[in-house]
Amino acid sequence: MFWTVTLSLFRGMGEALEIFCLTLLFSLPLGLVIAFGSMSRFKPLAKLVNLIIWVIRGTPLMLQLLIIFYGPGLWMENNIWAFSSGRMVACIVAFVINYACYFSVIYRGGIEGVSRGQREAGQVLGMTKSQIFFKVTLLQMVKRIVPPMSNEIITLVKDTSLARVIAITEIIKAGENFIKSDGIIWPLFYTAVYYLIMVGLLTILFNAIERKLSYFR
Amino acid sequence: MSILEVCNLEKHFGDVEVLKNISFSLEKGEALSIIGSSGSGKTTLLRCLNFLETPNGGRILINGNPIFDAADHASRSDEEIRKKRLHFGLVFQSFNLFPQYTALDNVTLAVKLQNKGRPVSEINAEGMALLERMGLADRAGHYPHQLSGGQQQRVAIARALALSPDILCFDEPTSALDPELTGEVLKVIRALAEQETTMIIVTHEMSFARDVSDKVIFMDEGVIVEQGTPEDVFVNPSSERTRQFLSRYGE
Ligand SMILES: Nc1ncnc2c1ncn2[C@@H]1O[C@H](COP(=O)(O)OP(=O)(O)OP(=O)(O)O)[C@@H](O)[C@H]1O
Ligand SMILES: [Mg+2]
Repeated sequence: MFWTVTLSLFRGMGEALEIFCLTLLFSLPLGLVIAFGSMSRFKPLAKLVNLIIWVIRGTPLMLQLLIIFYGPGLWMENNIWAFSSGRMVACIVAFVINYACYFSVIYRGGIEGVSRGQREAGQVLGMTKSQIFFKVTLLQMVKRIVPPMSNEIITLVKDTSLARVIAITEIIKAGENFIKSDGIIWPLFYTAVYYLIMVGLLTILFNAIERKLSYFR
Repeated sequence: MSILEVCNLEKHFGDVEVLKNISFSLEKGEALSIIGSSGSGKTTLLRCLNFLETPNGGRILINGNPIFDAADHASRSDEEIRKKRLHFGLVFQSFNLFPQYTALDNVTLAVKLQNKGRPVSEINAEGMALLERMGLADRAGHYPHQLSGGQQQRVAIARALALSPDILCFDEPTSALDPELTGEVLKVIRALAEQETTMIIVTHEMSFARDVSDKVIFMDEGVIVEQGTPEDVFVNPSSERTRQFLSRYGE
């Protein structure tokens, strides 16, 4: 029994990890693009981007998952997700959009948090725009965004469990199946170990980064 | 020939005219103090000289060569501005040191970026010499947050000097400091004046301005009300506005 459960949970863990990694891979850079969009000097673009951010951050990810997965089939009478891994792709799309919006707000705070005086000091010293970005402001931004980013990324670990609403058997779903089939609950506690280990590792990682950047203020 | 000549400089933000018809000149080795009440446009003037603001009218000449001419829009590329602003150095009221670099690296960063070919050890030695002049040799490896305000401002002065600007500008260099720390910064500026550094100092330290400067400008509401030697401005001001301003400072 133990091995059956372990095997099944490992499959669920694979799905959860896939969602986690792919979401980070795409939403980290996309978030930066959205951040620049929301700060654009072209006002209509900034307004539109901020509206999108507001909608995405103001509604549950679960709702967004359902709409993105079921929406196309029902509206366009053509289910764009009707290929073998379509479910997973739809899930990643929803997660990426959602997390990119959250990250964009954090990036923006980091960018705007570096005082204008820092850039001006660089300008007065004859630095080019790219020298100012790479040598002066970048590291200060990174330092500012690490704590909120680590919170968000740890939330993502746990949010992957939402994928079950579009019938992806992530780890909790895999554990829950044993309640119905075998009447046992311990696989659910088993899944908790996965989350605790993931969150523990990430916490160690981010603490290390924060410590590395603590030499300046 | 004057090292700096400012002719009919104008600056407005929207409808607000902040600088009106500003003209003055400065000789090499002179120290010029600019005094005036809050909002009179002193900071804006320094920012215009350092190309942080673009004037709406007028000209700026260095050694007789125009480096800025409001009528000529051709020469405003980033690259050219970058070169031209190096005639000036600027020390900010709020220091604006780079927090992630040590005192020495703050001083040498821009020099290293501009002279990629030069040996780093040579640049560092120059930086150390500058810090020594500021009385900060023992603080070279400290980060800004480990330094007092007065020490930070002295690092900022060394950083500006490292690029050997023709004219060093100070915008209220001691206003952000506790009274007991202003002395050490003023001492450094005084030493620079004695070494014939060409400087423009915006300050509210009247007795200091009177002591160190060769020339004083009093500004009010965006115009130069009075300019001349410290004697002229502090002892025999010709305008009522100057007298009123000075009496408020108990001179
Ligand atoms: N970026 C800006 N946009 C709009 N108005 C500005 C801007 N910068 C300065 N001003 C205005 O220009 C005027 C002059 O400001 P400035 O900072 O040059 O005065 P100051 O003489 O340096 O005063 P202080 O002694 O308080 O430093 C003020 O009325 C200020 O509100
Ligand atoms: Mg000012």
